[in-house]
Amino acid sequence: MITAEQKPLKEIIEYISPYDRILLVGCNECVTVCAAGGRKEVGLLASALNLHSLKQGRTIDIKEITLERQCDPEYVEELVSEIDRADAILSMACGCGVQTIAERYKEKPVFPAVNTKFMGASQSQGIWVERCQGCGDCLLGITGGICPVARCSKHLLNGPCGGTSDGKCEIAPDVDCAWCLIWERLKALGMEKRYEEIMEAKDFRPAGGGGPRKIIREDLSL
Amino acid sequence: MTLQTKLSKGDLVVLVEMNTPKGVDISDLVTNARHLKSRIDAVVIPDMDNGVMHMSALAGGAIMRQQGMEPMIHIYGRDRNRMALQGDMLAAHVLGIHNLLVVQGENIAHGDHQNAKPVDDLNELDLLVMVHSLLKGTDLAGFELKGKPEFFTGYQVQPIQDDDHLEEEIKTTKAKVDAGAQYIMVPPVFDIDYYIQILNKFKSLNVPVIATVFMLKNVGMARYISINDPGSKLPESLITRIRKAKDRETECIRIAGEMIKELKSQVAGIKISASGWEDRLPAILDCAGL
Repeated sequence: MITAEQKPLKEIIEYISPYDRILLVGCNECVTVCAAGGRKEVGLLASALNLHSLKQGRTIDIKEITLERQCDPEYVEELVSEIDRADAILSMACGCGVQTIAERYKEKPVFPAVNTKFMGASQSQGIWVERCQGCGDCLLGITGGICPVARCSKHLLNGPCGGTSDGKCEIAPDVDCAWCLIWERLKALGMEKRYEEIMEAKDFRPAGGGGPRKIIREDLSL
Repeated sequence: MTLQTKLSKGDLVVLVEMNTPKGVDISDLVTNARHLKSRIDAVVIPDMDNGVMHMSALAGGAIMRQQGMEPMIHIYGRDRNRMALQGDMLAAHVLGIHNLLVVQGENIAHGDHQNAKPVDDLNELDLLVMVHSLLKGTDLAGFELKGKPEFFTGYQVQPIQDDDHLEEEIKTTKAKVDAGAQYIMVPPVFDIDYYIQILNKFKSLNVPVIATVFMLKNVGMARYISINDPGSKLPESLITRIRKAKDRETECIRIAGEMIKELKSQVAGIKISASGWEDRLPAILDCAGL
């Protein structure tokens, strides 16, 4: 999923302070799962903003809505009936959702209420870890299901480097060395030979080296 | 007299652009530079021009110093992060390279190493801030340098597409001047009257303006520029002139020389780009009366 964390309240308040009527929009997808921008967080943020404005001696009108998916124009269309009553939109979705709203409702300022972090997985309750950088050319099939691009601090394709020690990375004692994990996994699977094959320098074109990426599925296009 | 001194005195400066080789054979670079030694003020060395891997501009600049010539090197953020850029700037100073031109690197997708990872840690404005910081004796992390470098730093204006874009580019360039650009270089336009109008607008930024004369090499090149870069305002009459000439190469040299003649009273300096025909540069200077 795409992970996110709520921005500091002070920053959010600075964004919306010139406006009296705010449309606060959450998203039922990734940001709900990582507890950053779902229905519950929309309610909490609305309360916090209301409390802050009351302390300042003013009232703001916050309309709360949580869409099924903010990165999908079909669902963003649901805001049409509310948009005229808002001076600004505060989005609790990832950057994709914020931009989908900004593209659809060009006449309204749109502000992000979360910082989009990374594509990650849930490690345990309340902990999400980076697992994918969307490099566009998945190597997991040859690295034992452990991604060196996302999990090696140097993104090495032929690791480990000299900074590995007892299975940990030199950058911090609680960071696993991805290449130690890869080696152990390949060994366990009896696929050590794969480790010995030298990988060529990565082609960064699928990773967006040449500019913003796009997927076109002609079989699905209208 | 250095390039900076001449510009500050208001004397016309003449620069030529010379690429480093794709390889280690520097004989053409050295030979072509030597033929121009007493006739020009500086040699501009692009770095990986058009996104094509060449010997680094730093080496090209050092070679020019060995030849007793004043270099100007391109700097941009596509291939190096802020650490590498700052390290190279310190190296440039000790190698005697003091003229820098901040340029926008060609997109990696248009070069010859399309699978490379673009760095883009710093943009043009950031680079000017970086140079300014180094000049003051501090790196971008705030640490003090042992010995301050000296640079004369300019900014390469983006190609002008139309009048609206011109106004936008003037604003953008002003931000670069405010950030420390001490001169600006304006890309070539082939309609001289229109080019002079553009150059005059950039003069309002109160830094020396250097015009660029780009040498057309044949009808095909002229046609390509005319179609793909409408902002260059390459008139059909120029293409016809080359096409009808008995000796097209000489005609191209003559055209470049004439452009220089018309521009030299209008600007602080002229840079000549011969795009691979650097051995014809003396002939262009002859035609221009320089």
